[in-house]
Amino acid sequence: MESIDLATMTIRTANEVIRGHGAAHQDVQIFNPDAKHYLCVGLTNPIRVRIRGSAGYFCGGLTDGPRIEVQNNVSWGVGDNMLAGSIVVGGNAGAIAGEAMRGGEIVIKGNMGSRAGQVMKKGTLCCAGDSSFMAGYMMYGGRMIILGDSGEKVGEDMAGGAIFVGGRVTSLGSDARLEAPTEEELEEIRTFLARHGLPMPDRFKKIVCAGGQLTYPTPEPRLRSLPHPRFTGSRADYWNEKVVEDNRVKAHIGRYRIRGYGAARPVPHLTDLAFRKDLSGAGTDPAAIAGVHLRTFIGGKHGARALDLSMPVMIAPMSYGALSGRMKRALGIASRLSGISENTGEGGMYAYERAEARQLIAQCLSGRFGWNIHDMKRADGLELYISQGAKPGLGGQLMASKLTPEIAAMRGIPAGMDLRSPSRHPDVLGGDDLIMKIEELREAVGWRLPVSLKLGAGRTRDDIKIALKDGLDFVELDGLQGGTGAAGNEVAEYVGIPTLAALMEALEGLEEIDAKGQLPIVLMGGIQNGVDAAKALALGADAVGLGTAMLIAAGCIACMQCSVGNCVAGLATQKADHVARFDIERRALSMHRYLESIRRQLAAITAALGYDDVRGLNRNDLVALTPEAAAMTRLPYEPSAGQGR
Amino acid sequence: MCAIAGLLFKKARPAHFPMTTGSALTEILDATLHRGPDSAGWALYRPPLEGELRMRFFIDANGDAQKEIAAVHTALEAQGATVLDGEVLGCTYGVRVGFAGDVLALTRAIERRVRLVSIGASLDIIKDVGQPYALAPRYAIHEFDGGHGIAHIRLATESGVHPDTAHPFWACGFADVATVHNGQLTNYWIMRRRLERRGMVFQTENDTELIAVYLAYRMSRGADLEEALRTSLEELDGTYSYLVATRDAIGYAKDKLAAKPMVKYEDEDLIAISSEEVGLNRLFPGRALATSEPAPLTYGLWRRAA
Repeated sequence: MESIDLATMTIRTANEVIRGHGAAHQDVQIFNPDAKHYLCVGLTNPIRVRIRGSAGYFCGGLTDGPRIEVQNNVSWGVGDNMLAGSIVVGGNAGAIAGEAMRGGEIVIKGNMGSRAGQVMKKGTLCCAGDSSFMAGYMMYGGRMIILGDSGEKVGEDMAGGAIFVGGRVTSLGSDARLEAPTEEELEEIRTFLARHGLPMPDRFKKIVCAGGQLTYPTPEPRLRSLPHPRFTGSRADYWNEKVVEDNRVKAHIGRYRIRGYGAARPVPHLTDLAFRKDLSGAGTDPAAIAGVHLRTFIGGKHGARALDLSMPVMIAPMSYGALSGRMKRALGIASRLSGISENTGEGGMYAYERAEARQLIAQCLSGRFGWNIHDMKRADGLELYISQGAKPGLGGQLMASKLTPEIAAMRGIPAGMDLRSPSRHPDVLGGDDLIMKIEELREAVGWRLPVSLKLGAGRTRDDIKIALKDGLDFVELDGLQGGTGAAGNEVAEYVGIPTLAALMEALEGLEEIDAKGQLPIVLMGGIQNGVDAAKALALGADAVGLGTAMLIAAGCIACMQCSVGNCVAGLATQKADHVARFDIERRALSMHRYLESIRRQLAAITAALGYDDVRGLNRNDLVALTPEAAAMTRLPYEPSAGQGR
Repeated sequence: MCAIAGLLFKKARPAHFPMTTGSALTEILDATLHRGPDSAGWALYRPPLEGELRMRFFIDANGDAQKEIAAVHTALEAQGATVLDGEVLGCTYGVRVGFAGDVLALTRAIERRVRLVSIGASLDIIKDVGQPYALAPRYAIHEFDGGHGIAHIRLATESGVHPDTAHPFWACGFADVATVHNGQLTNYWIMRRRLERRGMVFQTENDTELIAVYLAYRMSRGADLEEALRTSLEELDGTYSYLVATRDAIGYAKDKLAAKPMVKYEDEDLIAISSEEVGLNRLFPGRALATSEPAPLTYGLWRRAA
């Protein structure tokens, strides 16, 4: 057995050494751990690791296979997202033990903190002592065994799995109920406990999901698609067809409505800005356009391998689930052909998309659906999703009609439920937790990949400062106009902050702490073309993200019913006959051509403004066409500068 | 968005404990530095003075310090307090005054004229922008070797990064009471308006100050500290773990969501508190400590032996 002394070695080095021993199938013992964080994070070999003392946060997190023994205590998040293997803790565990587990077993000989097993999906979490409140909060599967007493609200909002409590159940959580354990289950528990030398209690209470909240009671009726001009813009009637439709549907279902797509409400946007200079001659000089430098590196700020974009454009995160597998594949191809990055969105990495995209960002969401160490290692960037512009502060939704068995399996959750993702991460409840989560992700991939934050515009001025201090490599900032696969209608229209205002807050927030230009911002939320992109860059964004625009380029008819799952274009559906209509190659090429139109527009505008590098674009190139946009951006109000639009 | 630290020796510091109280607090902070890189502070309980008070004020290092020092002297003398000595320390000015009157009345009289940091027979709050290892030598923290103290590092989220938004916060008007806090209060403005209507004064928009002012208010209405801690759990909404120190004790309160960690180590000699166990291990390297986490929705008070 090899030895590591943490009194003389940093965690970062130690984890590299442990992984090295793992590759050589060498067992390891760790001395002087002194409750340090991130021990064994990202380890994927079935070696034995003995920790001679206490471990800190995320011990054995993001692992697959190792057998870890901790002599004393562990802090928050032991075994976070582990896939297989075992962790045995001799003492107590802090909060969120076994959060987002996807297999293997964790045994805690002492007590465990609150929210143990939050969003766990598989495997066994066993606590020989007492558990604090909300054990099994939002758990989707797996087995929890608590030999002592369980705290309040055990099984709160659980959707699957079972919790066995040997002691007292202080109170049941919302949508949880008691049922009698079967003989078979008890026998399995007996075997499990005997294997770990733990006593079998006389009796067990079993807690499962009552199922009352898994699906919406009355489904929304199917509707005709209404063309946008009939309900949005200045010419739409006050009581237009959409308003009437909305009223009638609510009168039928008795709750808020869920829809896809972005906000239809007009708010000041990049189209309300113009270039100061007359650009009517833009694009006439092919040599000047060809000479414009567009290549953008983003994410290398802390030594990771930066994303290498052929132009400052990314494809916005959109999930396999919200979108069909064929559409995800086409996005991968289009991103590769245009030399930009693609993003997994929620729900894990789709293998075909990984194969097609040259640069793929893996997104980690609150429910940790599909999140695992192997896909992290296959990614080109990691992204922690805090929120999105269309529904800041709320979790994602995926209606049962789109949650196929394949997607449910990939996400590790029961099929057939109306999936509502948690609105917050189990382990990120503030800026201090965020930095620890980011470091865990970095440790897991050996600090090799950029780590970004997806921020829906809310308290952007504060959030951007936290993102900078927490050492993120870049931020994807998403405004109100950002699209979504499913959100409450009123949420999508009224909760967010316009993209333009969000960017200004972010830029000013950084300036307030003398950090102008120190945190790259990828702006998304209603970017429609290369002119919008150029304006966003001139205002201060470092790149833009395209979501809805990509869908339209791939054939989206803008019916706003992505959530229903009947997408006739085969993009936002999982129905086999609809998906079959989607021609991957043809649509990928459409999206690629659209991206190339953006490249050309960006280059033409840059050249016409007199720069040979897209990074030359700046605020002085812009004016505002409306008083609202002027107020929002503090640009000069020049309503007559229309030529530059 | 921070880390808290506390250390209390039940009797005198045992000879085998390898560092001073000030150094120990600094070590706990440094071990958890990732939680709060913006500012740091210590509430140190020095030997109590008889019939005298320790007072500390902020002075503007870039501005006219002499003018501010003069203002401190004028304000104190107008209230019948005799300045016995004074010393500039970093961005603060510390004085020892002869004063036999009511501290609350003195505070009310001067708090709008000068920038008070702390008042106490024993308490001395030192806080500044920067990180503990850099600040400690500047403020001679390692020289402090008293029986107890609390400390804090801050990651600023809402209010700005200035010395006066650093923790600890003095319970304005109440000698020797100081607070540090990790978390956020969600009913800050409701509680602030309520307390302001009752005459309490706020110097910043930092929610920790509200905890200090709240405790001060409750005690001004006759509650003892334990009672004030108890009612704070009912009245302060949000998620927090906070510590409060008095001349001879350290108390804590932890909200029902318990999303902000706090780990305690206790043996026959001492009680040490950190946001993470890794902070406690700095005091006892290489040892597997028997630690515990105070339960959600609890409060408590650890006193020094008389």
